[in-house]
Amino acid sequence: MNFTQLFENDILSIFPETFLSIAILALLVFGVIYTKQSKTENNHANSLSLMNTVAWLCILSIFLTILLLINQPFANITFLQNLLVKDSLTLFVKITMLLSCVGCFLISFNYLKEEKIDSFEYNVLILLATLGMMLLVSSYDLISMYLAIELQSLSLYVLAAFQRNTEQSTEAGLKYFLLGAFSSGILLFGCSLIYGFTGSTNFGELLKLLSNVSDKGLPMSGIAIGLIFIITALLFKLAAAPFHMWAPDVYEGAPTSVTAFFVIVPKIAVMGLLARICLQIFAEFSAEWQDILIFSAALSMLIGSITGLYQNRIKRLLAYSAIGHVGYILIGLVTGSLLGLQALLVYLVIYIIMSLNMFGIILALRKTKHPSGQSKAITFLNDLKQLAYHQPLTAVMLTLSLFSMAGIPPLAGFYSKWYIFSAAINAQLYALALLGVLTSVIGSVYYIRIIRIMYFDRTIQDSPNTIQPIYQPIAFESSFLISLTTFLLLVFSLYPSPLFLMTHKAALALCF
Amino acid sequence: MVGWESIQVKLKEYMVAFLILEALVIQVFCVMDLLLFYIFFEGVLIPMFLIIGIFGSRERKIHAAYQFFLYTLLGSVFMLLAIIVIYFEVGTTDLSVLLTTSFSPEKQKILWIAFFASFAVKIPMVPVHIWLPEAHVEAPTAGSVILAGILLKLGGYGFLRFSIPMFPDATVYFTPLVYTMSVIAVIYTSLTTLRQIDLKKIIAYSSVAHMGFVTLGLFSLNVQGIEGAILLMLSHGLVASALFLCVGVLYDRHHTRLIKYYGGVAQTMPIFASLFLFFILGNLSLPGTSSFIGEFLVLTGIFQSNTTITFLASTGIILGAAYSIWLYNRVAFGPLTTEYIQIYTDITRRELYIFSPFVFLILLMGIYPEIFLNPMHSSVTHLIESIQA
Repeated sequence: MNFTQLFENDILSIFPETFLSIAILALLVFGVIYTKQSKTENNHANSLSLMNTVAWLCILSIFLTILLLINQPFANITFLQNLLVKDSLTLFVKITMLLSCVGCFLISFNYLKEEKIDSFEYNVLILLATLGMMLLVSSYDLISMYLAIELQSLSLYVLAAFQRNTEQSTEAGLKYFLLGAFSSGILLFGCSLIYGFTGSTNFGELLKLLSNVSDKGLPMSGIAIGLIFIITALLFKLAAAPFHMWAPDVYEGAPTSVTAFFVIVPKIAVMGLLARICLQIFAEFSAEWQDILIFSAALSMLIGSITGLYQNRIKRLLAYSAIGHVGYILIGLVTGSLLGLQALLVYLVIYIIMSLNMFGIILALRKTKHPSGQSKAITFLNDLKQLAYHQPLTAVMLTLSLFSMAGIPPLAGFYSKWYIFSAAINAQLYALALLGVLTSVIGSVYYIRIIRIMYFDRTIQDSPNTIQPIYQPIAFESSFLISLTTFLLLVFSLYPSPLFLMTHKAALALCF
Repeated sequence: MVGWESIQVKLKEYMVAFLILEALVIQVFCVMDLLLFYIFFEGVLIPMFLIIGIFGSRERKIHAAYQFFLYTLLGSVFMLLAIIVIYFEVGTTDLSVLLTTSFSPEKQKILWIAFFASFAVKIPMVPVHIWLPEAHVEAPTAGSVILAGILLKLGGYGFLRFSIPMFPDATVYFTPLVYTMSVIAVIYTSLTTLRQIDLKKIIAYSSVAHMGFVTLGLFSLNVQGIEGAILLMLSHGLVASALFLCVGVLYDRHHTRLIKYYGGVAQTMPIFASLFLFFILGNLSLPGTSSFIGEFLVLTGIFQSNTTITFLASTGIILGAAYSIWLYNRVAFGPLTTEYIQIYTDITRRELYIFSPFVFLILLMGIYPEIFLNPMHSSVTHLIESIQA
C-alpha cells in the first residue's frame, strides 16, 4: 500500500463516514459527561433535555455528512485497498438513507418523551446503525459487507429491545437477535463458499473473474450455492417472504419509533447492496438468482396483502404492508434491467415518503384520559375510530397516505407501482406483473378499511353524550414532517422528473 | 345546492370532495394521453369513495362504498397492464400517435379485453353491474346525481375514445359479445326494476338499462348508432340526474325511499308531481324529449347491422315504459298515504331553480337536437372511416 495513495484518495473518500463515526463518538462522550447518576424526578427532566440535545446534534451531524457526501471529491472510486467503493448509486442510496434517518429522528421526538425513553444512547445507536448501513452500501468486498451488516444489525438488535421495562420490547429484541444472528451466519457461510470456490473476496476481482465465465473452468454450481446463501441472508434482513416470520413480531414489540426506523432505513441499504451483488457482480448467475427472487417477490406480495387483511393492530398491519412493499421492490430487482433498477430506486424513495408519513401520524396521535394523566398511544386499528371528527386534518393526511400506499392515482404511490410494473412487462415477466396488480387490489382493502374506520361508521349513537377521546396536540417536528411528506405525495404527479433523473443516474452506475 | 338542508356535518369535506371530483372528471374528458386518462379515470375513485361512505344515509353505505371501490379498481388494473404493454410497443402514450399505430389482431384482442374489463365495470354492463344499485342507493343525493350523470359516462367515453379507434379489428371481432351483453342488460335490468321497492334502486337499474342501449349504439359502428349513443349518454345524464333529484326532494322531506310510503303526491305536491312526470316521460323516451332522439338513432344504427338485436332492444323500450309509468303511478297518483305521512311540502324555490336547467335542456335536446349533433358529425364520421379502413 502506497502511503501517498492513502492520503490522496482514501482519506478524502472515507471522509463522510469518518466524520459520522467521530460525531457518534463525540456525542457518546458528550452524553456520558452530562448524564446524572441518579434517576430522581429532577433528573428525568435533565435526561430528557439531554436526549433532545443529543437528538438535534445527531440531526446536525447527519446534515453535515450529507454535505460532505454531496461534495465528495471523486465520482467513482474504489479505495481502502478496494474494500469500499463510491459511485453514483452509493451516493444516491446514502443520501436517501440519511434523509430518511433525519425523518425518523423528527417523528420520534414526542413519542420518546411520552414513553419516557430518556436515555440518549437511543440516538447514538441510530447513528451507529446508519453508519453501518452507509458502509454496507459502499462495501466492495465480502468481508467489509459482513462487518457492515454486523455493525448495523447489532445496533438494531439493541434498539429493538430499548424499552427495557416492557416484555414486548425485550421479546422483540431477543427474537430479532436470534434470527439476525442466524442470518448473519448464513451470510458468512455463503461468503466462505464463494471465497473457497473463487479464491477472492473482493467484488472487483469477482467481477473480473465471473464475467464471460463460460470458458474459464470455474466451479459454477459451487459459486451459485454461495450466492444463494448470501441472497437468502440478505432477504432475511429485508423481511422478504419466505424469510419474513420475524418481522411482524419484532415490528410490533419494538417501540414504535424504532419500528419506523426498521421499516424505513435498513431496506434502502440492503436493497442497494442486493442490487450491486445481483446486477453487477453476479450478473452471469442471473438464472439462479432470478428464480429465487421471483419466488420471493411473489410470495412477499401475496403474504403482505392477504395476511394483512386479518390484522387488528396497527404495527402488525404496517409490518405486513412493509413485507408487501418489499415484494414489489423485488420485482424491480428481478427484471435485471436498467429500467428495473431505476424503478426499484423510485419505489424505494416513494415508499420512504409514505412510510414516514404513516409512522409520523401513528407516533403523533396520543390519547389522553384526563388532563394530568398518562397519554396512551394507538395500538389497535379501532383506536383510530372517528378520527375524522376529532382531528380532521390529521385524518385527511392519513387518508392521502393510505390511498398512496394502495397505489391509487394521482398520488405518488401509483407512479411507483406503474414504474415497477412497466419494468416487469418490459422484461416480459407478465405473470409477475399480473400477480402484482391483483395483490395490489387485495392489499388496498386493508388500507381503505383504515379510512373507513376513520370516516364512516358515524351512527346516531355517537351523539355528544358518548365519551370523546382527547388527542394530544401534535408536536411541531412531527407535524412538519407529516405535512412535508403529504405535500410530496400530492405534488409528485406534477413534477416527477427530478426523482427520475436522479435514480437514472444512480442506476447507470451499475452498468458502466 | 341539493345538499343544502341535508348535509349537516363535515360540510367543508363535502365541498372539497365534490370539487376535487369535478376537477378530476373535467380532466378525464380533456386529456389526449392514455396514461393521464388512466390516472384521472382512477382518481375519481378517491372522492367518490369518501362521498358515498361519509355522506350516505344508512349502514349499508360502507358495503356499497367498498363494492364501488373494489369492483372499479379490479377492473382498472387490467387496463393498467394493457397501457404498459402499449407503451412498450409504441414508445409513447400520446393518443394522436396511438391512433396511427396498428397492432396485430391477436394483440388487439388481448388489449381490447383488458380495456373492456375496466370500461365494462364503469359503464356498467351486466354481469359486473352489481355495484351500481348499491352505490346509487347509499350515496347522498348529490353523489347519486354525479355518479349517474357523469361517472357512468366515463366508461362510454373510454370505449369511444380509446377502445374503438385503437383496436378496430378486435372491436369488430367482439361486437357480438357486446351486443349480447347489452341486450341482456337492457331486458334483465328492466325486468328487475319491476320488482324493486326502493325508489333510487329503480332509477339505478334503469340507468343500467339505458347504458346498455348506449353500448349497443357505440358498437353498431355507423354514424347514426354512435351519434345516438353519444346523445343518449348526454340525455341520460340529464334525465337520470333529474330523477335522482326528484327522489332527493322526497327523501329530504320524509326520510324514506320505499315506495309503499308514498302515494298520491300529485294532490299535495302538484309542481313536484308535474316535474316528476316530465322526467319520467324523459326516462321512457317520449318523443319530444332527448332520450327519444338518442334511442331512435341507436335503434336505427343497430338495425343496419343486426335486426334481431334491434327487435330485442326495442322490447326494452316497452319494458322501460312499464316500470317508469308504474313507478310514477304508485308515487304520484292514487290515494294519499296518510297513515305514514301527514305533512307534505311542495318544492321550494331553491329546488325549482335546480330543476329548471334540466327541464330546459331535455326539451332543447328533444326538439332541436341538431345543436348537439352538429359538432359531433365530423369526429364521428372520421372515426367510422378510420375503422372501415
